[in-house]
Amino acid sequence: MTRERTVGAFVRARRASWDRLAALAAGAASGRLGAAEVEELDRLYRRAAGDLARARVAFPGSDAEGHLTQLLATASHVLHAPRRSALAALARLYREEVPASFRAERGALALALVFLGAGLAGGALAVAWEPGAAEWLVPDAVRASVAAGELWTGALLSAAPGVTGSALAHNNLTVAGLAFALGLTGGLGTALLLLANGLLLGAVTAHVVEHGLGAPFLGFLAAHGPAELSALVLAAQGGFALAGALVAPGEWSRAAALQARGRSAARLFAVVVPTLVLVAVVEAAVSPAPEWPGAAKAALGLALAGALWLYLARAGRAR
Amino acid sequence: MRPEPELRFETPERIALALDLAGLGARAFAWLADVLCIFLLWVTALLVYSITGDLLRDLQALSALGQLLAVAGVFLSGWGWDVAWELAGGGRTPGKRLVGIRVVRADGAPVGPAESLARNVLRVVEVPFGYAPGVLAVALGPRRQRLGDLVAGTLVVRERRFDLGRYDLAGAADPRFAALRGRAAALLAADEFDRLTDFLRRRPELEPDARARVGARLAAALAARAGVPRPAPGDAEPFLEALAAFHAEGA
Repeated sequence: MTRERTVGAFVRARRASWDRLAALAAGAASGRLGAAEVEELDRLYRRAAGDLARARVAFPGSDAEGHLTQLLATASHVLHAPRRSALAALARLYREEVPASFRAERGALALALVFLGAGLAGGALAVAWEPGAAEWLVPDAVRASVAAGELWTGALLSAAPGVTGSALAHNNLTVAGLAFALGLTGGLGTALLLLANGLLLGAVTAHVVEHGLGAPFLGFLAAHGPAELSALVLAAQGGFALAGALVAPGEWSRAAALQARGRSAARLFAVVVPTLVLVAVVEAAVSPAPEWPGAAKAALGLALAGALWLYLARAGRAR
Repeated sequence: MRPEPELRFETPERIALALDLAGLGARAFAWLADVLCIFLLWVTALLVYSITGDLLRDLQALSALGQLLAVAGVFLSGWGWDVAWELAGGGRTPGKRLVGIRVVRADGAPVGPAESLARNVLRVVEVPFGYAPGVLAVALGPRRQRLGDLVAGTLVVRERRFDLGRYDLAGAADPRFAALRGRAAALLAADEFDRLTDFLRRRPELEPDARARVGARLAAALAARAGVPRPAPGDAEPFLEALAAFHAEGA
């Protein structure tokens, strides 16, 4: 190998092979390369690594060195982590990674269920035992329409369905995102969010039942409620996983534990998001529709939530 | 002054590499560009809707398609936008592509679905504060990571565009400076050569006074270093061109 004396001569002698390497790396990232091309990529990569070593010694601080660094960073990942097609990556995410994350965080799941359940039970029992508690626990607008003998949910019908659906989805996604992110408060925020949501839902349900509107209200909730609550629980499960990494990082540093478990917990959002989108559509289109009988709504709601939990519990298990 | 923070990692062959981290300005600008994109998309959607509104209303009454579209639209205006683009574009949203930054993992690899979800879901605790936590974390943090980046283990790096064209041969050197042949190569280190070609390329944009002053000072310093007579004031630039040409040639 000749030793070029200046950076200019060096770059001119090598540039063709760098450009070819960049083209091959781009080709490998976006599509498939033939066996011969992969071999060429490997050969050019090794050569460029040698060039970088030389540039560092002979031409430090030059653009040639910077260019080689970036080129190698790109090519290295193409070479060492051959990119699966986006479709294959998605398939793997749903087939293996999401259910695995779900099952790995059983403790966090239990916490989420406990706090939501405690909120629900607390709200319902408080209003059932002491109807006056509804004044604090049930929003004024809800109490007003219940007192008038009608359900506020009927008003959903009059709004444009698409708009309602997107507003619901946005609201639910924000709550789910908060349940996850507030795990960073050591789980306190997530727990409070679950308690508050549970209290509200429990109290409203008890209040409505007490005023004889239980059947239509539960009919309204039946189609979307189970899946919606499931999604909230899953998001909170992720939040408690974050909290676990912060509170009890074990032998890892807090930052490392947070990254490892955060990445895994965030995978749960790969099911939370589509679930909430589906829930929003059902909530806007099916739940307030009088032409659906209550039994059909309940069957749909249970089927949606059941499918979700069954998938999370069973998918991707080693046979 | 603190050196520019870098992301350092090793390839499996143990080649140590370092990439520059993106600063607050670049990231904020990329964010603004993305917000503008989303805004323009909604304006377009609204226009289409106002033109074909009746048709859509009929469709909506018939099926859940319109609702699904609206819901997906809202989702994509939030962090769905970032997740979708970061996965499809190797860590680049349209705004990031424009600015020349991208999201990578701590080992320099492109982000995967789990990392992208983690870093973007956490926006929900930053948005209510006008991104203040994120701004502070990026401005003050040692690795310029937002809260979401800390949880996901991701960093945002600059993609610099290096100009290898500077090493192409510029043309014949002025014969008056042939004495530089054979000395140019030893005279300039590689980074000094880069700065010299920077000057030669940018000089048309400089103020005439500044251009003459910088050219004369460079020529005087380099002539002294080479041990050749200092060129006449008007000849500073041909001298520098000749020096660059010989150096590029390897002489």
